[in-house]
Amino acid sequence: MPPRFGTLDLAKFAKSVSAIDGYKTEPLTLKGVQILELHMEIDDDPAIALLPATMHPAIPQYAIFNVLHAPNSEWGPFTIAEVRVAGRTGVRPRGFVLRSYIDNDDAAKALSSRWGFPVAKGDVNLRVLHDRIVGRVKLGGKTVYEIEEQDRDSIGGGDIQYIASMHLARNKQDDKLVLVQVDPEYVFSKAERGRPRVVALDHEAFGATAANLNVMSPIMACFTTADITLPKVRYICNPELPAMQGTTKVAA
Amino acid sequence: MKFGLFYEISVPRPWTAETEKTVYDRCLEQVKLADELGFESVFAVEHHFLEEYSHCPAPELFLTACAMITKRIRVGHGIIVCVPEFNHPIKIAERTAVLDILSGGRLEVGTGRSATWTELGGFRANPDETKKTWDEFVRCLPQMWTQERYHYQGRSWSMPQRTIIPKPYQKPHPPMWVAVTSPGTEIDAAERGMGSLGLTFGGFKEQEQKVNNYRKIIRNCEPVGKFVNEKVATVNFLFCHNDDEVGVKTGLRLTGTFNYLASQLLAAREAYPTKSYPSLGLLPSLRQEASGPGDASGAPEGIAIGNPARIIKAIKAWESTGADQVNFLLNALETVPQEQVLNSLRLFAKEVMPHFQKSGDSATAAAGGR
Repeated sequence: MPPRFGTLDLAKFAKSVSAIDGYKTEPLTLKGVQILELHMEIDDDPAIALLPATMHPAIPQYAIFNVLHAPNSEWGPFTIAEVRVAGRTGVRPRGFVLRSYIDNDDAAKALSSRWGFPVAKGDVNLRVLHDRIVGRVKLGGKTVYEIEEQDRDSIGGGDIQYIASMHLARNKQDDKLVLVQVDPEYVFSKAERGRPRVVALDHEAFGATAANLNVMSPIMACFTTADITLPKVRYICNPELPAMQGTTKVAA
Repeated sequence: MKFGLFYEISVPRPWTAETEKTVYDRCLEQVKLADELGFESVFAVEHHFLEEYSHCPAPELFLTACAMITKRIRVGHGIIVCVPEFNHPIKIAERTAVLDILSGGRLEVGTGRSATWTELGGFRANPDETKKTWDEFVRCLPQMWTQERYHYQGRSWSMPQRTIIPKPYQKPHPPMWVAVTSPGTEIDAAERGMGSLGLTFGGFKEQEQKVNNYRKIIRNCEPVGKFVNEKVATVNFLFCHNDDEVGVKTGLRLTGTFNYLASQLLAAREAYPTKSYPSLGLLPSLRQEASGPGDASGAPEGIAIGNPARIIKAIKAWESTGADQVNFLLNALETVPQEQVLNSLRLFAKEVMPHFQKSGDSATAAAGGR
């Protein structure tokens, strides 16, 4: 008997996915990006409904909350927030993206059409304060997401290990749903670790419910500055099959 | 070269009372046979919460059961987690002494610190601290085993003067080991005069370098115990069959299952960035090696699966790196039927073991010789 698989309702979830223009995009490097990331353990059994059948849940299940600010890009500065649920595709750790919000229309268009990220427009903000780092998303003036790192403490960039993301997208060419893997490369110039706190979370805004994304126990928060390279899309998966059976390499 | 067994005790879902009992019963049957066949030792892990991968949270109980049904095989902790949230050091000293008595002086004490967030987080242990608490524990244990009255004021724990009883059967105390997973831990083992209990392996060259480094450093060690336990053990899979194709095919099923399960674990480093865990620990390396390139048969180099001739060749290569012992994983999720596991052990003992000269003797080491 293999490990458990996710039970995500694809038809329901697919309503909020982006359309990707094939898999021919070129890599893109973003310089001096600030990333606030929190890891929080979540209630195990209900959270399995947030992972596609391709993935195994992590043991224990945990969610990744982050806000990323890119001060320079070909679309101008932008800030993006996302929530992911960690798991495994086959033997590899991956974070399944539930939903992202971004404050820059051009960046939103590029990230969704070139990599398939499920982004929507929102008022996203990352504030670096003396004693804490705060990431926030507002929709229509209402805060739907607020996360914090407290008790900041420097660590080495080499200690950080971000896991790659998987997200559901619709391929414009054949209108089929696919899971797209994006495995960014990071070159860290600064890193710190602290205590995580989820101050506000509107579960529905991230395609979840209070029951299936039930934050149970803090793991850590980290805040880094890094150059990030978004690579070509190299692997896609059939969201209805286990990764060992449904993974396709689309670029070298 | 000596041979041992290494148990994670992997239990497939669904976890009924019967499945758990069946797996434990089968492991004990294997240990009993291994004792009769001349295997040197049986090591058991301490893991908690590692669903399917390892249902062995109380190795002292399993090892006691092993000792009770065997006559000669040594029983080893591989390892005891030396982190106060998991195990109080007094309890470790007491439990190991009792097990050493019950086994008639057949205990080996492996020490370590856990490598998964699943476990560290489960006990609310701080990953930044585990190396320090491990170091403190391994220095205390020999004192607790040998001093009539003991008191301690330390960094992570303390106690007023008490008589810790009973004392171990082996004098001055059982041999001590360190689980070597992260790069450089073999140096920690050597500097403290402890055995290097390898739970992973790289290539032969890398292993040879590690062994040479260990042997060089241990010559000038400051032993934490009353004697130096200069031993290097490595870990491997075992499935031996007269038909090489069957042996390789079944062995690959075993290694594939084990490594797939291992990849599901949440390494400390993945969840919680810390310099205390510079690598992902034992599992990725084992996985990498066991799924690495092999010859036309598909068997990765150095993995003890296939017919006796192939296994002899693999173990000779490990022997040439300077390793003293190979500990074998025999099953994962009951992928290999019990009768086949037992037959594999029998064939290994008959056809492979005679090609390797036994060296040294743990009882000699325990008697105090550096």
